[in-house]
Amino acid sequence: MEAAADLESSLELSYSGAGPGGLPPARSRIFKIIVIGDSNVGKTCLTYRFCAGRFPGRTEATIGVDFRERAVTIDGERIKIQLWDTAGQERFRKSMVQHYYRNVHAVVFVYDMTNIASFHSLPSWIEECKQHLLAGDIPRILVGNKCDLRSAIQVPTDLAQKFADTHSIPLFETSAKNPNDNDHVEAIFMTLAHKLKSHKPLMLSQPPDNDKIHLKPEPKPATTCWC
Amino acid sequence: MSLLRRPPPDGTAPHEYNSKKKRKVAEIYQALNSDPIDVAALRRMAISEGGLLTDEIRCKVWPKLLNVKTDDLPPAPGKELREDNEDYQQVLLDVRRSLRRFPPGMPDEQREGLQEELIDIILQVLQRNPQLHYYQGYHDIVVTFLLVVGERLATALVEKLSTHHLRDFMDPTMDNTKHILNYLMPIIDQVNPELHDFMQSAEVGTIFALSWLITWFGHVLADFRHVVRLYDFFLACHPLMPIYFAAVIVLYREQEVLDCECDMASVHHLLSQIPQDLPYETLISRAGDLFVQFPPSELARKAAQQRVERTAASTFKDFELASAQQRPDAVLRQRFRDRLRVEERTKSFLTKPRTNRFVKLAVMGLTVALGAAALAVVKSALEWAPKFELQIFP
Ligand SMILES: Nc1nc2c(ncn2[C@@H]2O[C@H](COP(=O)(O)OP(=O)(O)OP(=O)(O)O)[C@@H](O)[C@H]2O)c(=O)[nH]1
Ligand SMILES: [Mg+2]
Repeated sequence: MEAAADLESSLELSYSGAGPGGLPPARSRIFKIIVIGDSNVGKTCLTYRFCAGRFPGRTEATIGVDFRERAVTIDGERIKIQLWDTAGQERFRKSMVQHYYRNVHAVVFVYDMTNIASFHSLPSWIEECKQHLLAGDIPRILVGNKCDLRSAIQVPTDLAQKFADTHSIPLFETSAKNPNDNDHVEAIFMTLAHKLKSHKPLMLSQPPDNDKIHLKPEPKPATTCWC
Repeated sequence: MSLLRRPPPDGTAPHEYNSKKKRKVAEIYQALNSDPIDVAALRRMAISEGGLLTDEIRCKVWPKLLNVKTDDLPPAPGKELREDNEDYQQVLLDVRRSLRRFPPGMPDEQREGLQEELIDIILQVLQRNPQLHYYQGYHDIVVTFLLVVGERLATALVEKLSTHHLRDFMDPTMDNTKHILNYLMPIIDQVNPELHDFMQSAEVGTIFALSWLITWFGHVLADFRHVVRLYDFFLACHPLMPIYFAAVIVLYREQEVLDCECDMASVHHLLSQIPQDLPYETLISRAGDLFVQFPPSELARKAAQQRVERTAASTFKDFELASAQQRPDAVLRQRFRDRLRVEERTKSFLTKPRTNRFVKLAVMGLTVALGAAALAVVKSALEWAPKFELQIFP
């Protein structure tokens, strides 16, 4: 029950990266990001980590699509990041998840580093995503989760990197759980947000912001585990 | 038992409430003990206020509602059950994460034992019925039966339920589930067109109600007493009743929805978080009323009618596109809508004024609980599938 409250309050818990001087503009831009991958890879944990700032005590199977949101400030501009956390079971993605592909600005593919099968599913996720997305070149990233479980790793980094290179998708390895990795999960989504911000043509037009305070250094994509 | 602890509704004095409950318990036992068992009366009891009241009664009545013979339960599963079952991994993952379904104070050891039983029930039903396919959320339904009636009987009840009420959800694909979700908006439209239009322009879709439907609300309600109360209701009714109940919840939250920003994310988020303090008895009776007023056959006809009008209005295959979950051009669709709406309004003004429906609803409120409409609901439950009826009254 507590976990439910936890998960449910992630919207309220969402905090802003705005500095003291960052006045929110009347209407902030919204970046919609869909998070997909096999069941149990940690999609719910990752999105919760980013939106609520911590690892959820418990998660339950996601049925359909859950929504989480967090406001951040990038280069002085206030931006809402909406994460659509989808169900991993194949039957859901086949007929339910499509609705949520529309209008998304970016895609996060997740696999579980301790489960090679979840890595082997990636091509079908990527293929499916291609089918549903009208705009061809939206930003995509690949996230290997659970790197804290060092002794159980089944997907070596070089294998994942090779795959990522073949598909030209940036790769990140991380852990939603390891508290030291909080900044890392944050950095991953922020990297994506930065990318989206510079990917202007796709976004809603917005009055230019002349207050160019650089609040967050641009995180560098990592291809090795930061644990 | 849970009723005793809860404050009595609508200012009834506690002793009055208790005597009402006592009376109901007596009536239920009378129905159970009559020869043949008065299943129709049991259905009415399961629908009317408070439902079946205690788990002890549920153990006796649920099998009757599903026409399951308690002296002929499926054999205990063998060891091979988990060996080559293609759903085993997914079931395991889901059951392991389902801690929240068990009573908060339960010792870990006991809970873990029940989780093992939960896995066994699911796998056994799947094994015995290869046409059924596991879906995430099925475990939320099964756990409710396990906790109320225990492993053996739960297996039999869940098997019957899965081959009947849940059958559509367990197809190889979720197309039929999607189809059932498509009833949601027409129901809302019948009662509150403004709310319907708002949701439509937010393009919220119906996935927010998916987990409600396929888990019979077991996934989203924190209080187990509410879950079993709803199960009493659904077990006694037509299998589409959960979608009516979903509509009733949305309608009940009208103001919140209309106050919400009109976009998919906000509305989806608002609706997918169910308030835990819903007035369940009132909502149950409203769902029953709605079912009687707008039975599935009528809704299906409306959907079909709309389809003809729309496709006749244009070569644009709006309906097919919508059912394929691809989004037709929003502007075009809006135009259709507007025109349809004008036509509809004119029509309904001439024949059956919409406002009448509101009045009727208000007047009919609680009639299900009082038994009149309950009869109609029960009757429709029996009309639903002739095969099922035969099984109930062999
Ligand atoms: N050790 C470790 N465990 C994790 C991590 N992330 C998630 N988990 C665990 O992995 C399990 C699955 O996590 P979820 O976030 O529920 O997985 P999901 O991808 O949302 O699964 P579906 O909703 O079924 O699609 C849970 O038991 C989590 O506690 C991580 O970084 N490290
Ligand atoms: Mg999840």
